[in-house]
Amino acid sequence: MNNKLRTRLLLILFIFGLGIYSLWPTIKYQLLSDTEKNNLSKNEVEYLEKNTIKQGLDLKGGIYIVLEVDLPQLVNNLANNKDKKFDIFINDLKDGYTNNSVDFFELFDSKATDQDLKLPRYFITYGKTKNQIIEQLKFQADDSINRIIEIIQNRVDQFGVSEPTIQKQGNDRVIIELAGIQDSERARGLLQSTALLELMIVKDVESTNTIIRQIDNLSYSNNQIGIRSQNEDATNAGDLFSSDNEVSDLQFSSLLIGIGSDLAIDKENLEQFNNILSQENIKQLLEATGSNFLFSNSSRTFLNDFGEEEEVYIVYHLVNNAELTGGVIENAQVRLSQSGVTAGQPLVQMEMNSAGSREWARITGANIKKRIAIVLDKKVHMAPVINSQIFGGSTVIEGLDSIEEAEDIAIVLRAGALPVPVTIIDQKIVGPSLGADSVQQGTSSILIGLVLVVLFIIFYYRMSGFIASFSLIWTLILLLGILALLQATLTLPGIAGLILTVGMSIDANVIIFERIREELRKGKTVRSAIDSGYQRAITTIVDANLTTGIAAGVLYQYGTGPIKGFATVLFWGIVVSMFTAIIVTRFLFDFTTSRRNVEKLSI
Amino acid sequence: MEILKNTKINFMAARNVGFIVSSICFVLSLFMLLSGLNLGIDFRGGTMIGLNFSEDVEIQEVRTAMQSISIEGQEFDLSAEEIKHFGNSTNVMIKFKVRDDAPENFEQEIVNHLYQKMNEKVPEDKNNFILSIDTVSPKVGSELSGKALWSIISALGLILFYISIRFEFKFAIGAILALVHDIIITLGIFSLTGYEITLGTVAAFLTIVGYSLNDTIVILDRIRENMKSSGTVLFEATINKSINQSLSRTLITSLTTLLVIVVLIYAGGEIIRPFAFTMLVGVIIGTYSSIYIASGLLVSLYKSSN
Repeated sequence: MNNKLRTRLLLILFIFGLGIYSLWPTIKYQLLSDTEKNNLSKNEVEYLEKNTIKQGLDLKGGIYIVLEVDLPQLVNNLANNKDKKFDIFINDLKDGYTNNSVDFFELFDSKATDQDLKLPRYFITYGKTKNQIIEQLKFQADDSINRIIEIIQNRVDQFGVSEPTIQKQGNDRVIIELAGIQDSERARGLLQSTALLELMIVKDVESTNTIIRQIDNLSYSNNQIGIRSQNEDATNAGDLFSSDNEVSDLQFSSLLIGIGSDLAIDKENLEQFNNILSQENIKQLLEATGSNFLFSNSSRTFLNDFGEEEEVYIVYHLVNNAELTGGVIENAQVRLSQSGVTAGQPLVQMEMNSAGSREWARITGANIKKRIAIVLDKKVHMAPVINSQIFGGSTVIEGLDSIEEAEDIAIVLRAGALPVPVTIIDQKIVGPSLGADSVQQGTSSILIGLVLVVLFIIFYYRMSGFIASFSLIWTLILLLGILALLQATLTLPGIAGLILTVGMSIDANVIIFERIREELRKGKTVRSAIDSGYQRAITTIVDANLTTGIAAGVLYQYGTGPIKGFATVLFWGIVVSMFTAIIVTRFLFDFTTSRRNVEKLSI
Repeated sequence: MEILKNTKINFMAARNVGFIVSSICFVLSLFMLLSGLNLGIDFRGGTMIGLNFSEDVEIQEVRTAMQSISIEGQEFDLSAEEIKHFGNSTNVMIKFKVRDDAPENFEQEIVNHLYQKMNEKVPEDKNNFILSIDTVSPKVGSELSGKALWSIISALGLILFYISIRFEFKFAIGAILALVHDIIITLGIFSLTGYEITLGTVAAFLTIVGYSLNDTIVILDRIRENMKSSGTVLFEATINKSINQSLSRTLITSLTTLLVIVVLIYAGGEIIRPFAFTMLVGVIIGTYSSIYIASGLLVSLYKSSN
């Protein structure tokens, strides 16, 4: 072998070595059985997991969620001196924002101008001019989203997910990817929960009864007005007497059922209940008394007077302002209840910081014999009677359905509440079985396809076909090696990119071989046919690959999710297949024809 | 082994027939697209739930079970929504639009409802009942369509630029028109089959773009090479010669690609099938368009400029 060939061989071997080296963790990880994985030390497993090619959600199962921060709500929270005009503005903002993809602060700006809203009136602490205020609000929004990411990261870590991806998208979104998660329902609850813990005093029975009577009256008169205006429109006399128009004057209280000292409501009546409470003058009434109605977190069965089973929620009438909120919680742990009728059931034990403990002692001291509701995300978990003042800042949440629920509540309480609510705007959940099926079918069919292609190429080009197949296999190994180095995630579109790469790699070989054949047909010797065949083919291959490479680059730049994955694989596929087609196969041809004067080429 | 040695087919003679056929297909496809492209929830917004029952189920059973879903006092009737089998008769796909009145975790509530209502035919572990749940809000949907469109347009623009520099502007026009032709006709055939366009199929379209582009450049390259010796005189003959010279390569490459695609269609599974099908159509059209659109247009462009 001459020196020139030897240098090329060394270069090729070096690159092959690199490819195998970077792909090795992936191969090793795939070959390990579960028990073997358990036997490895934590560091070894971490090393393997970090350097292996990750499978995307569509292949492995898991959840992908995009959360959008409720920016209108954030702005609403930050505002002072809110009035009717501001409420209309916020509602308008909410409508405009949730239905269109617009930049929130541009919308904010234009709506404020349209409605001639004097921003400094509401946001004087953030600046004196509109621009200053918007700048400051932007800063606040950015701060909240960073806090949200931190809190969610915290929750996910405590939940125990390996390699979660949590990213900020734009200025109001968070993308969360949890691959391999089995229980999607639980994971989603954990992410979306605002985790706002509030301790609220329950209104006494008398004022509750009074407000129920008042709501009955208002609701009755609202309906009368409604019916009158309906009847004015009615042209058919029969409508006037239709039974639909008869309204009970106890419309609200008839929905409620007394269970012991509690009020409850049938599951089926929830909507009607909420409809009544959302009427404008009833909302005003509740606001004036500074109270509100909330439901228990879970329903229970209740045997009514007719001996029928009903699913009911307990209704609580609570003082609107929370006495304490979750910010004072320092620690939260799951325990099993030790005593009483709830013995053996899970509960969450919370410890407060010193300021919280003092406040808690003051509140419990001032409200002895009253009930205090423990409210999480606007749902009442329990409302025990305060029997004596509580020192030491300790309290519990009972009434949980399962140990998982208790664990999740403890996690979100420890991680802290989200500063603003978030909504799920995009979610993909892939069950473990679907992913497994598609991986298995996809891989086996691609392997079958590959084997067929290799057989065909060898049949058609003989010895040269072997060379092409050899370079094809190395193209795949090197490409996967690069993906492992990049710590890329392989998804179905990525596999599409892989197939296209295989196609282009074979095409490059075919172009070269056909050129060499042409040159041979012209009567050239083997050596010079190879030389000029390559020389001519290279221009074509470079042009074709570069053009496709440009497309891949653009797609990577502008594409999202799957398109980006496709583009990454394609881009590196082009780089690798040009290397194998132009350098590796050329070396093999030169090597096989270098020793003696070859007269015939098997092509 | 060698097939197609020294062919001398006069491809360009049928150039005008090619143009006419392509134009008709193009217009028909465009019409199909505008009237009924089945855009998936990725672009339109909506919810798609894939469920895995433990034994065969009739669609009618699922429909009946979906007739009254009660969630906290609100009644939902989803029996008229799109419900169909996919893969085999134990797997069911349910698809519906985003509803304004939907309560929190609507999808999960529906899954729970079906899990209870059809409890004799579901796997023991609820996590195995759920194959997939996809929800995309219309807002995200319109953003994704915008981005996908924008990325394809800018990719086409840059390719046009590159080919104009490396070759000539006329070559670039031919190549880009061939690409647009391929995408539109494949989309047209795609909408004819009723498969829906998802982000995954967009990847398939991009693969076609890549393939078709590769094919076109290879032929254009040959034309450029032959033009160096013969110039633009007898241009039609030069192009015919170039196509014939690269015909063997075109055939072998298409064959190997089709080999992989056919295996994918038969054995790749339900998720890959629409993708593989798109590729099949695209590869055939891509090969055709390199000859009749990209090269054909080149002949016409040179004739008109002479």
